[in-house]
This record gives sequence, C-alpha cells and structure tokens, in this order.
Amino acid sequence: MKMKNRFLLSISFLVTFSTFAQLEELTTSEIAYRDSISALNLKNEATAQSQEFYNKGIQYFGEKNYTGAIEQFGKSITLDPNFTAAYYNKGVAENEVGNFKQASITLDKLITIDPNYSKAYFQRARAFQGNNDYLKAEKDYDKSIQLDPNNPKAYYNYGTLKFLQIDYPEAIKFFTKAIELDPNFAFAFNDRGSCHRMMANYPKAILDYEAALTKNPKLAFVLNNIGTTKKKMKDYPGAIAAFNKAISIDPNYSPAYNNRGVYQLEQGKKEDAKNDFEKALQLNPKYAAAADNLSAIYFKQKEYKKAFEFANNAISFDSNYAGAYVNRGIAKEMLRDMEGACNDWHKAEELGAELGKKYHSENCNN
Amino acid sequence: MFKRYLTFILLTATSSLFAQNIEFKSSNFKDKKEEFKKAEQAIENGDVFYKIANDAIFLVQNPGKNYKKALIEYEIAQKFNPNNAELNLKIGVCLAYSTDPFKAIPYFKKAKTLDPACNPFLNYYLGYSQQLEGNFDEALKSYSQFETEYKKADDFSKFVVQRKKECASGKTSFANPVRAWVDIVPELNSEFDDYAPSISTDGSELIFTSNRDNGHPINDVGEYDKDIYTSTLNNGKWSAPKQIVGGVNSLLDDVSSNLSFDGTRMLLNRESNGQKDIYESVLKGNSWSDPVIFNFQISSQKTNEEYAAYSDDGWSLYFTRDNDTRANGYDIYNSKMQSKLNKDYAAATTMIPMNSKFNDGPIYLHIDGETMYIASQGNESIGGYDIFVSRKYRGAWTTPVNLGYPINTPYDDFFFAATANGKFAYISSNRAGGKGGYDIYKVTFWGVEKTPIVDVEDFLLSSIAMPMKDHQIEATVDINKKTFTVFKGATFDAITKKPIEADIDIIDNTTGTIIETFTTNSASGKFIITLVSGKNYGIAVKAKNYLFHSENFDIPTGSSDNLVSKIIELKNIAIGSKITLRNVFFDTGKSSLRVESNGELDRVVKLLKDVPNLKIEISGHTDNTGSANLNETLSQQRAESVVTYLKNKGIIANRLTAKGYGSSKPVSSNSTEDGKQQNRRTEFEIKGN
Repeated sequence: MKMKNRFLLSISFLVTFSTFAQLEELTTSEIAYRDSISALNLKNEATAQSQEFYNKGIQYFGEKNYTGAIEQFGKSITLDPNFTAAYYNKGVAENEVGNFKQASITLDKLITIDPNYSKAYFQRARAFQGNNDYLKAEKDYDKSIQLDPNNPKAYYNYGTLKFLQIDYPEAIKFFTKAIELDPNFAFAFNDRGSCHRMMANYPKAILDYEAALTKNPKLAFVLNNIGTTKKKMKDYPGAIAAFNKAISIDPNYSPAYNNRGVYQLEQGKKEDAKNDFEKALQLNPKYAAAADNLSAIYFKQKEYKKAFEFANNAISFDSNYAGAYVNRGIAKEMLRDMEGACNDWHKAEELGAELGKKYHSENCNN
Repeated sequence: MFKRYLTFILLTATSSLFAQNIEFKSSNFKDKKEEFKKAEQAIENGDVFYKIANDAIFLVQNPGKNYKKALIEYEIAQKFNPNNAELNLKIGVCLAYSTDPFKAIPYFKKAKTLDPACNPFLNYYLGYSQQLEGNFDEALKSYSQFETEYKKADDFSKFVVQRKKECASGKTSFANPVRAWVDIVPELNSEFDDYAPSISTDGSELIFTSNRDNGHPINDVGEYDKDIYTSTLNNGKWSAPKQIVGGVNSLLDDVSSNLSFDGTRMLLNRESNGQKDIYESVLKGNSWSDPVIFNFQISSQKTNEEYAAYSDDGWSLYFTRDNDTRANGYDIYNSKMQSKLNKDYAAATTMIPMNSKFNDGPIYLHIDGETMYIASQGNESIGGYDIFVSRKYRGAWTTPVNLGYPINTPYDDFFFAATANGKFAYISSNRAGGKGGYDIYKVTFWGVEKTPIVDVEDFLLSSIAMPMKDHQIEATVDINKKTFTVFKGATFDAITKKPIEADIDIIDNTTGTIIETFTTNSASGKFIITLVSGKNYGIAVKAKNYLFHSENFDIPTGSSDNLVSKIIELKNIAIGSKITLRNVFFDTGKSSLRVESNGELDRVVKLLKDVPNLKIEISGHTDNTGSANLNETLSQQRAESVVTYLKNKGIIANRLTAKGYGSSKPVSSNSTEDGKQQNRRTEFEIKGN
C-alpha cells in the first residue's frame, strides 16, 4: 500500500513536470509576490476557521449553551481579532450567564475596534448594570441612546438603573419615554408603576400595573405586585384577589403562593400559610423565601429543629439571604447553639439585616 | 406473670410489715443493751445541737454548725435503729437546713411511713419535701394540715404562711417559666459547696467561693474552710479553678461577695469567733491584697455583716446585716461615702422596700446602675432563697420581683453575677441534680421573644421577574474558504524560442467565462497572475502571425510551493502547421460536441475570420483502443461535427475539410494512459494561407 502510494506520487510529479515545466528560478519580486499570496491564503484560512467557530457559537447560543457559545466566540476572536460580530456575540453571551465583568471587557475591545457599534454600548451598559457600576452603565446608555435614539429598551434599562439608584422620578421619565416609543411595552408600565409604589403613590402604581396587564394579561408577577401594593393599601380583599388571580393565570407562579402565605400568616391562619409556603416550595424547590417563611412558622410553633432545617435550606438556595441567617440564628439559639446563632446574626448584619444587628448586639457580646 | 404478681404482693406486705415505728426503748433492744445505750446517748447529744439550731431557725438566724453536729450524733443512732419515726424526722430536719436539702426528702417520707403522728412538725416538713419536688398542691395540703394541728401560740405561723405563699407562687411560676436556660457549669463545681460567683465586666474572669479540699485542717464537722477561687473563660469554657493569688485566703472562712466593675477591688466576708464582717481586698498586679475590714459603719462589732456589693458609681455600698433584735434575719443596708479618698462611709440605712421577714441578700448591682438583684427567703419566693430584681424608678428602687422559674426553684437560688449586656448571669443553687452542695449555674436569658423574618416577594422590576435580554446577536456568516495559487508563465516562438508578446484569456471552465485577459511582456514573454485554487481553467493564447494556442489545466488546492508555471510555445501560421484543439470535447463514444467546446471553436472561427485566406483541415484522432474501423468512423464524424460548427458560424465550406484518421496518427505512445489521452484529440492543420 505504501509502495503504491509512492508510485502514484512519482507518476503525478512527472506528468505535472512535463505539462507545466517549472520556469527557471523566480525573481526576487516574483518570490515576494508569491509570498504575499501565500500570506493571503493563510489569512483567508484563519478567517474561514474563525467564521466556523463564530457560526458554531451562534448555534450553541441558540441552544442556550452559553458557556459553549462563549468558548466558540473566543476562538473565533483569537483567529480573527478584528471580527467585531464575534466580540458582540461573546459579550451578549457573557451577559447572559451573568459574567458581567468579562462581558464589559469583551465589549470594551469591540468598542475600541469600532466606536460606532451602537448595540455594543447597550450591551456594555447591561454588563456595567449587572456589576452594579451604575455610573458607567449610565454613560453607556447615554451613548447607546445617542447612536440609536429609537431603541425603547435602552430607555427602559436606563429607567431600571435609576430605579435601582432609588431615583424614582428620573426612572419614571425613562419608563415614560420607553412607553412613548413602544406603547405596548408592558414591562415599562409595570416598572413605572413600581416607581409610583416606591413613592407611596399606590393608586398611581395600581393604574400602571393594570395598564401593564392590558398590554399583556398573562404577567402573573404584575398581579403579584398589585397584590402586595393592595396589601400596603390595607385593601386585604383586593390583595388576596390579586394573588388568587395570579395563581389562576399561572398555577405554577410560586411567589403568589408565598405572598398569599404571608398574608394568611398575618391573619393568624398558620396552617393555611404553611400550605401556601409548602406549595411555593413544591413549585420551586429552591425558593429561598418560601423555605425561610416555613422556618418562621415552625419557629412560632416552637418546632425549632424544623425551623432550623428550613432556614438552613433557604441559605443553601441563596447564600446571601440575610433574613434566612436571622431565622436560622434564632432557631439555633433555641437549639442551644449560641455560637452558631451569633455567627448567623453577624452574617445577617453583614448582609444588611437590621434585625441581625439587633440580635447580635443584644445576645452575643458579654 | 402470676408468680411475679405474688412476689410483688409479698414484697409490699413485707415492707409494710417492717415499716413499723421502733421506739428507742430498752425493752425494744433487750439483746443490744450496750448499743442501745450508745444510741440513746447519741440522740441525747444530738438533741442539744438540734434544739440550738431549731431555735436559731425560729429566730431567722444562722444555725451555724449545730445541725451538722446533731446529724453526726443522729446518724450513730440511725445506724442502730433506722426505723424510728422521730429520729428520721430529726435527721431530715438537719439535712433540710444543709446545703443538700434534697437528701432530707426520704427521711421525712420514712418518718411518715413509720408514724405519721410522731411529731406535729412532720406535716410541715412533708410539705417542705413536696414543695422541693414541685408538688405544690400536695405541699399546700400538708402545710394546711400542719396549721390545723399546730396549736402553739408562737410565731412559727409566719413560716407556714410564707411556705404556703411560696407554693402558690411556685405553682404560677412553674406554669409560666421565664425565657431563660439554667445550666450547671461543670468546670467550676465540685461535690462541695461552690457559690458566690462574681464576674468581671468583660465576662472573662469569674471568682467564687468553695469549701473544697484546700489542704487546710478540717473542722469539727469534717469540713474545710472556705476559700476564694478564680477561673478564666477560654473559648467558651471555664478553666480549672485556682485559689486567688495574694493574702485573701486564710484558715478562716473567706467568702467572696462582689468584684468591682473594673475588677480591681473585691468585697468579701470573714467569720471569726461567730463574728461576720465585710472586708475589701485590692488587686495589685496579679495579687490580691490582705483584706481590710470596713469601718464600724459597715462592719459593726455588734452585728454580723455578710454580703456586700459596690454601686455602679463606686460611692455606695449595699450590704446585709443581721439584726438580732427583730428576728427577721439579714436585711439590706446602704451606706454612702463622703469621700472616696477617705472611704468615710456614713451610717448605714436599711432599704425598707427590699427587706422581708426572712433573710435578704446577697445583693448585686448591675453596671447600668438602674438594676439591682437581691436574693431573699421572703417576699414572693417559691422556696428557699430566690433571686429578685428591683429597678430604679424616679430615683427609688421598685418592689423586688421574682426572676421566676427556672432561675428560681423551691431550693436556695441566690447570688447573681451578670455579664455587661445582661445576656448571661451566674447564680448559685443547691437544686437537685447538681454535683453536691451549692453549685454554680449559668443563666442564659432568651430576651424578648424573637421575631422571625417573614418575607413577601415582590418583583417590582419586570426585568428581575422576567429578565429582559437582548438576544439579537449578530447573524451567521458565509464561510470564505478561497485560496489562491500563483500562475506564472511565458510565451515563446516554438521554433526560435524567442519571447513573444501574446494576448491571453483565462477561462473558468466551470462557468465558461473569461476571468482574466492580459498581454504577456513583449521583452520576456512572461506573465504572472493569481488564480483561485481547486479549479480547472482554459487558457487561450493569441499572437500576431502565430497560430492560436489553447489548452486546459488544473490549479490544485494546497500546492506546496503555491505556484503553477507554464511555458507556451506558439507556432507560426505556416502551411502544414498542426494545432491540437485541447478544449474541444465530445460526448463519450459519440460525435456530438459538448457545449464546453464552444469557446475553443469560437476562437478557431475568429482565427479563420481574422485570417481570411486560411484553409484548414479538421482532423479527428483516437487512441488505439477498439476496432480501427470504428475509430476511423468516429474520428471522421467528430471532425465533421467541428466543420459543421465552423460552417454554422459563417466559415465558407471550401476553406474547411474534415478528415478522420482513427488511431493512425498517434502523437504519443498508446502504451500509457497519458499517451492515449494525448492521442485522443482534434487537430487542425494549415492547408493554405
């Protein structure tokens, strides 16, 4: 087999030679020309490979395999460092998995290559927002809006940024602009409603929430917001009706069960509350708030071991859940683990829970 | 089963049979006269101490060692005759006033079994036992029974009234325990009395008193004198207690009372010849100074002073003093200094709201200056000493309130040393279940009932409830895999080898389109261009006075040197010149022309039109495969097909001849495939010009 291959090669060489006899030696300029074509070929080959990785990345992105997509886009960029679309897609995928820091780095590079890539500013703003770097996010939303003034999403996200900075009047302006550009923007209605709610203007909040529902009647979380707002308005029948409606729209919407449970607990209906929290947990087995609320019920019933277990579960679902540390601490105290209780309250205090601070200062210092 | 039942019945019967009161009468011990005499003597000896002790109790005074001395005697008699109701009662009473009162309970019960009417006080002490056990209803019955039967018009009724009050309080207290845990501190306690804890403000050091084995000689009732010990808190555990360093501990009883808040001064009491007084010691370095007795305003020679506490500002001293005249036991007094330098305490005044008809104190003032803890046998005690709290309200101390069960029990619960934040406190108690005598317990207050956090979950921002993501990523691209090959060549005169300037067309044979048109260099005949690799191309070369030249060639993909070279030799258009039309293709085995041939044939048409005198012969040639006749026929037909094409393109017929030569005119060997390929051809020959 090896022999045969060699034979064929030699025949082929002879044929080529006879048909296309080599010219005498190449001149210097001809060598340079050939080398430039060789270099072009190499570049083209790299570009083609880069494009293959890029296309594969898009396929993974479509399959929600964001990590795989990031890897492919990264390879694509390595082979073709000027492939702006690959940077953009990589940045979007990194935002998608919550790796906001890396997303901002990727999009920085893209904007350096092409400062007019308007979508890149929007995505980088998202990354900054995710990283709680609000000032930088604001600058990028500004730039995004400047380059693409008709993108309601940029105004919307800018609004959320203002909301998170507790600048509700400013947030309302941005949500309103988003609604002007897209009158069916249910999210913008909801969020504007939440601004009113945070400003204790509950009737206006309800109006916006209801407007959001007219745009999209299937948004259970909007009904949930109506429920909690009506609870603040002491409109308890209205609140429970909203939670019930949220559940009827989406029987798997766990927060509505949780919140109805809290309402039941406040009404002294411990068993009903427990059922609701359990249902919420059944629907969302890693629902930290529901687990923690169950812990609260068991604590009130002096079943401290169970109270501990549920608070512990809540912490395993969300290690930064300050309330769960408070609740696990009080359960631990009653289980005679004072050191553990103090550690939990201290952690809760670090996470911003006032009650954690109070319990720690009252119980943990000689 | 039946057998077991019988055995049980028998045992019960035997028990009741033997549970008969045996009086200390010589007639009952005819065979043990000597032993009887000794027992009788022991009782007699014991009774002396017993009476003194009982009298002291009656006057709310300290019975001293009298019960202990009585007990030693009674135990001799008890060994001889354990079934005397009266003796069992007396032993019970001695134990009831010891630091292990729970040991009294079986004796009282036995006395009742032996003879319920042996002594009018039996019901009182039965009530006391029941009270210790927390059976308050039973205890109340026993106390009421005692009240009914006790006819003496003395002041003992104040004890019974107090006990009954205790039972009522105890019942309520047990039903409503306070929010605290009370745990023994094993590291600090021994089988001896361990009590009087004081704690430094930072909670790291605890001093207390113990009559554990200190290597000193024991006293006449077999006890060591009391010394003061210290322990430090390391990682939540108290270290092994050590005697405090310095001149405090002596062969006398040295009993700690209180540490100053900065931990540098200590109040203690010492008893010498039945006289108790309060002393102070100061910490110098690591050593406590020799205690100094307070002036007569506090440590009076006329009275006993026992426990003391510093006030939060250091200007006052609260202490207990026994007032012999009032039979109310120790009361709490307060004395203020005029000058801290001179320590000139003024005459002490009694703190009326704090004091009861029974022993009050020790006292403990919290560092907040607003809270005082007082132990008392009176007030609303649920039995023995209980700890009470009083708070300062508008400058006056409020009526003390019982700290409640489980901090207080029907046993003695006294002393109170709290940590600065009030979360923990150390107390002394002789409750059942300890290591023996008084033990030190740690109280952990739960504080106000803690409220668990209950969380409503809002999704005020939609983007948090349903994250709004801009999924519009950029689209896929068409992958460009083009590679290029350098195509280099030159045009020469086939005969003279001189470079010729020639016009060249490069044709993409897959589409039939001309992709490059250029002229070779007039001086060198050279050309150099770039072609996309992996394709088949046609090349058509035309030069003035030279025969048109054409051929097809491949540019392979991935050639190692990225270069394809070609020399093109052009033939002068002389009569007899033959040109092979390499880009004329026929269907296999047929004479029908394939459309790819059109380009080549059109160039022949153009040649014939450019050179109007040119006459040519189109000849068909095959290789030697197959029959000669068939080859000849096919080659003739193919030549005619070409002539027909040319005619159709406007070339006059008389300029054209068609001739099929079959395999008769090979240009190469038919022994190789390549040779055969060369031989299969269409040619034209210049026949006239």
